[in-house]
Amino acid sequence: MGKYLVVYNTLGFPSIGRFLLFLKEARNRGVNFFEIGIPPRFAKYDGPVIRRSYSRVKSFGIDVWEVLKTVRKNIDLPLIVLTYLDDHIENLGMFVENLHKLEIDYVLFPDLLIDYVDRYQDIVKEVKDRGLKATLFVSPSMPDKLVAEVSLLTYPFLYYGLRPATGIPIPIDPVTLVKRARRLVNNTLVVGFGLSINDIANVLGAGADGVAIGTVIVEALENSEVNQALKIIETVRGVLDGL
Amino acid sequence: MVNIPKRYLDEILPSYWYNIIPDLPKPLPPPMDPENGSSRIELLQKIVPREILKQQFTIERYVKIPEDVLEKYGIVGRPTPLYRAIGLERYLDTPAKIYFKYEGALPTGSHKINTAIPQVYYAYIEGVERVVTETGAGQWGSAVALAASLYRILSIVFMVRVSYEHKPSRRALMEFYGAEVIPSPSKLTNFGREILSRDPENPGSLGIAISEAIEYTLSHGYRYVIGSVLDVVLLHQSIIGLETIKQMEIIGEEPDVIVACVGGGSNFGGLAYPYIGLRNNGKRFIAVASAEVPKFSKGVYTYDYPDTAGILPLLKMITLGKDFISPPIYSGGLRYHGLAPSLSLLAREGVIECTEVSERDVYRAARIFAETQGIIPAPESAHAVKVVIDIALEAKKRNEKPVILFNMSGHGLLDIENYRSMMIRYGKG
Repeated sequence: MGKYLVVYNTLGFPSIGRFLLFLKEARNRGVNFFEIGIPPRFAKYDGPVIRRSYSRVKSFGIDVWEVLKTVRKNIDLPLIVLTYLDDHIENLGMFVENLHKLEIDYVLFPDLLIDYVDRYQDIVKEVKDRGLKATLFVSPSMPDKLVAEVSLLTYPFLYYGLRPATGIPIPIDPVTLVKRARRLVNNTLVVGFGLSINDIANVLGAGADGVAIGTVIVEALENSEVNQALKIIETVRGVLDGL
Repeated sequence: MVNIPKRYLDEILPSYWYNIIPDLPKPLPPPMDPENGSSRIELLQKIVPREILKQQFTIERYVKIPEDVLEKYGIVGRPTPLYRAIGLERYLDTPAKIYFKYEGALPTGSHKINTAIPQVYYAYIEGVERVVTETGAGQWGSAVALAASLYRILSIVFMVRVSYEHKPSRRALMEFYGAEVIPSPSKLTNFGREILSRDPENPGSLGIAISEAIEYTLSHGYRYVIGSVLDVVLLHQSIIGLETIKQMEIIGEEPDVIVACVGGGSNFGGLAYPYIGLRNNGKRFIAVASAEVPKFSKGVYTYDYPDTAGILPLLKMITLGKDFISPPIYSGGLRYHGLAPSLSLLAREGVIECTEVSERDVYRAARIFAETQGIIPAPESAHAVKVVIDIALEAKKRNEKPVILFNMSGHGLLDIENYRSMMIRYGKG
């Protein structure tokens, strides 16, 4: 199996037209999964770039379901919808069923294991009962025992965010962090949150099976045309394939 | 008293710190930026030494202690003694055995140097000329002043004003080590000036002093060093518990109850975390706060700012609110409004028992300890002494023989003026 490349963008960012164009073009550049963020009420665990993208999309307003429907119609890659469980916990069943009706493949709640850890098994089961699968997100501030446990329940990989928030280049030692997780995880391990090109090579050497990139894509789309974001994807794909 | 012979020193001083986060019962909520405004998490890179940030966020169970830091630990007198409090046991006529780890043996009189040294070391290797910090009662400021002098860099300490005025010895100690000490709130920062314009008699608080220290750091391009609350501080302080585990092994004892006082959580975490994470087989862990700073009984577990101005990221912790100011009459050092996130989580999960002790009881306990053991505890440590006495007396009633271990986090020789003011208020107890 080759190394996974997971690419994140905020639903409808920077505009619906450029968002859909980006997905279509990126699909042909070696992306394995698209992660699509639905703007939440409060992006509590996100950094400033992704928070700005959410604000921008909310400011011009989109029909989330219509845009997701269009994405599904045009993109044949697996789709992971990312959204905060805070926004859907009251109507979780209906929300997941609606995703299932659109043939979305996976849902990722970044706050699940932080704020709902006591109920996570029930929530994962409910997602599964409604026809979808949960992609679980872990971080270094989670206990080893929990990381090992959830690695057996996640599809299609375990997402390991290395930093406390998206896109903020807080100094860390990514190799140490990935080695720690690799010992615990009995599943495919995808690593993200602020990875540089050097980091990518290093985390793969430490045992990661793939990488996720998000802030760097959103920033490229924020500042320039789609091509800049596509170049980043090509570069990362090149690094992944070269290893 | 029983101390451990020198020949065991190499065996006792660990070469790794211990981080409890991989062994916590639940995920530790991450720091968070507020809904509006600029990113506080991003700003940390301009405030804190780079390597300290790296340690804070590269979470692994064991972290190697740099050789230079180990050497400085030795210079300041680590490992610290573990004593059996036979005098206190006899006075209480208890079947319990009472041991205490004496961090007061360190040069500035408390455990704070255990994290001051590595933090200043990392600032030094980054090429920083000055480190900035805040202090309440003065123990943290003294430790930073000493650590800075060991590395030949300068230190600036914003001291809570009421302590600046009532603890001249502490101030003198910091200045003797070469620190510049500033009473907070001060006119040196925008935040300080704003507070003084509203309330010229403001006695100050740790939250205000932290905000001033950080603003000063940012405006001058210095680096800020942190006394408590953050995981990296509790990581460094784990040296206390790791040494104690070895020392207790050497004498063939295992504690049943572990007690320590709590301000931000660093001395409690330092002693207790290695036991909680590595040797937790039915032990009791008791955290003792001040009734005048009632974070256990009145605090809320929520995201709050560690500093009053809100410059730092939000942390999920037990808190009395960032604007909390302890009563001016309160002379102890446990005045911080919040509690380390990891300790807050452990308290919420019931791994740790929490209690609060009044200043009058602290005073009585301090006198008993001083009269039976000779050591005058720091007022902060005397909170733990009070609870130890209670447990020992309870053991006497039940004819039980628990092994009680507590952290004597500091001595009270530089707080004797505070004890004098307590003597006036409470008489002979």
